[in-house]
Amino acid sequence: MSDKNTPFLTIDHITKWYPHNDGRIHLFRSREKRSWVKAVDDVSLTMNRGEVLGIIGESGCGKSTLGRILVRLESPTSGDVLLGGRSTAQMLREDRKAFRKRVQIVFQNPFDTFTPRDTIQKILMRPLRNYGIGASDEERLAMCREALEAGGLHPTDEILKRYPHELSGGQLQRISIIRSMFFKPDLIIADEPVSMLDVSVRADIINMLLDLAKKNNTAVIFISHDIALTRYISDHIAVMYLGRVVEYGRTDDVIAGPRHPYTRVLISHCADVDPDQARDSLPITGEPPTPINPGPGCYFAPRCFMACEGCRAAYPGRVELENGHYVCCSCIREE
Amino acid sequence: MEHLLDVRDLSITYLNKSRNVQAVRHASFTIDRGDSLGLVGESGSGKSTLAMGMLRILPENSIEMTGSALFMGKDLISISHEEMNRLRWKEIAVVFQKAMNALSPVHRIGTQIEDIYRVHEPRATKAEIHDRTMELLRMVNMPERVYRLYPHEMSGGMLQRVAIVISLLHSPKLLVFDEATTALDVVTQGQILEEVVAMEKTIEMTRIMITHDMSVVASSCRKVAVMYAGELVEIGMVRDVLKQPLHPYTQGLMSSFPSLKGEKKQLRAIPGFLPDLSDPPAGCAFASRCPHCTQQCLSQKPVLREMPDGRRVACHLVGGQKHE
Repeated sequence: MSDKNTPFLTIDHITKWYPHNDGRIHLFRSREKRSWVKAVDDVSLTMNRGEVLGIIGESGCGKSTLGRILVRLESPTSGDVLLGGRSTAQMLREDRKAFRKRVQIVFQNPFDTFTPRDTIQKILMRPLRNYGIGASDEERLAMCREALEAGGLHPTDEILKRYPHELSGGQLQRISIIRSMFFKPDLIIADEPVSMLDVSVRADIINMLLDLAKKNNTAVIFISHDIALTRYISDHIAVMYLGRVVEYGRTDDVIAGPRHPYTRVLISHCADVDPDQARDSLPITGEPPTPINPGPGCYFAPRCFMACEGCRAAYPGRVELENGHYVCCSCIREE
Repeated sequence: MEHLLDVRDLSITYLNKSRNVQAVRHASFTIDRGDSLGLVGESGSGKSTLAMGMLRILPENSIEMTGSALFMGKDLISISHEEMNRLRWKEIAVVFQKAMNALSPVHRIGTQIEDIYRVHEPRATKAEIHDRTMELLRMVNMPERVYRLYPHEMSGGMLQRVAIVISLLHSPKLLVFDEATTALDVVTQGQILEEVVAMEKTIEMTRIMITHDMSVVASSCRKVAVMYAGELVEIGMVRDVLKQPLHPYTQGLMSSFPSLKGEKKQLRAIPGFLPDLSDPPAGCAFASRCPHCTQQCLSQKPVLREMPDGRRVACHLVGGQKHE
């Protein structure tokens, strides 16, 4: 289906605008004159099978919306996502179930993920039944047991009988990962999967997710605001600011040598566990603005310590650096 | 020199019908003037209970407190409510995780600050309060117009800064941050921590930071106390403890924490769960999760012992001089 040159996942100019209610009547106003919340604004990314892509940014930068578009919980205003060279919009129209089998999501809050009135057995059996996996209920139950055992949840019989409120956040998040991995998906979106969990169990959940992904050759998009954690697990990192990707590259290139002023500010403000590392934070003024009709220039220009006249005129294009590393900044020259 | 706060053998138990949860057990530590102490541990380790107990803001009819907490010569645990109220805000102030939720949505920030100021200084004039607030707002890099804004007009980071300003109104000697920066964005958290550290250089302030984030402690505190299951397991200078943790729990916490620089080691979680605090184990509380657990750990409770570098560790496997 896909030859060597087409990447496994192509996010092609995805845009998601929500209409912004500013209290006026919009009936007679054209699309251009209305005010829009540009949650995701022209994002293009590619990734290969089995890779881990980290998406980082502050709250409100559109990283979760992008994740929801990828699993089609939201449909984009424009643009498309290609999976193995095929449009997901088309895949969804042709066979919804086949698409859902290939793309899965793990949500942030494990306490909200499950129906509170069902037992874990019911919760785990439902997708298997819906998608016709396994010949009989006995076989499906055995699959659940096996998956729970492999995920380090025992005694499995005890867990299967429990209700979500009887389990800890860490256990529930494991079950959420197990459930999303049942179909051996090609792509899994992990939307802040550990930010609600305790520090001491985070590492376990992350390792479990990555082990399962490696075993099934699943690509993982890891959405997080924790830069240090993302550095540990992802191959590439995309930094988002106000709905746009401002910097993308191999993890080590981005973290060790950030080029975009926003990425530099973000990383310089990250506290490290090593008390000897003197932090010299770069200056940043103001608060993150809302993405209501930003622009026309670089969205970061009002807060940027490097901003010049050219930044306010038009949104800067990509500046390509080595190893596929690129930044969108008009103050950086190509090497 | 006399310590600003001297906590001795403090235990706090939540009383229930069926079981009594011993949330803090025999905690002892001291803080000097101008010092900063980070109190870390996973959720349920009793770090908030310890601080809130000291401040007497736990419901008194459902807890039992023993031990003492001497603050400038007064025992916070046994003094009367009237006396405690005199200390609150003037001498000791707290900033909570979602302190912004305490602000009234229908009053301007300035009005609220005036009200709070007058609780402890009833005869203060408007101009006096205004001047003091402006001074503090400048310290946390906020524009003066904040005084006339409503809470909904500001972002979470700004509101948390307002909360810090309010806690500093009467220049308290001791300031407690209970996860005060946890809910904020990376950049905002970095900015606030920096402002707080810079502030301490200009005004005399002693600070306790309750957090689960080791990096917050690393960047803003001088001393750190690690709590596990209601007990203090390691106390010392940040530089010593975070660089070379001695207690297996501290080691576990550190190795489960990702670092921004340096080599990427495999992250390791601490297996197992917190013990049931209504029936704490006879030996070391961490024994069931400890990779180096011995027979002695299961039967005998380790006490805090002093190490050559001055820190104190409660573990049988780490030698050191017995304390006291």
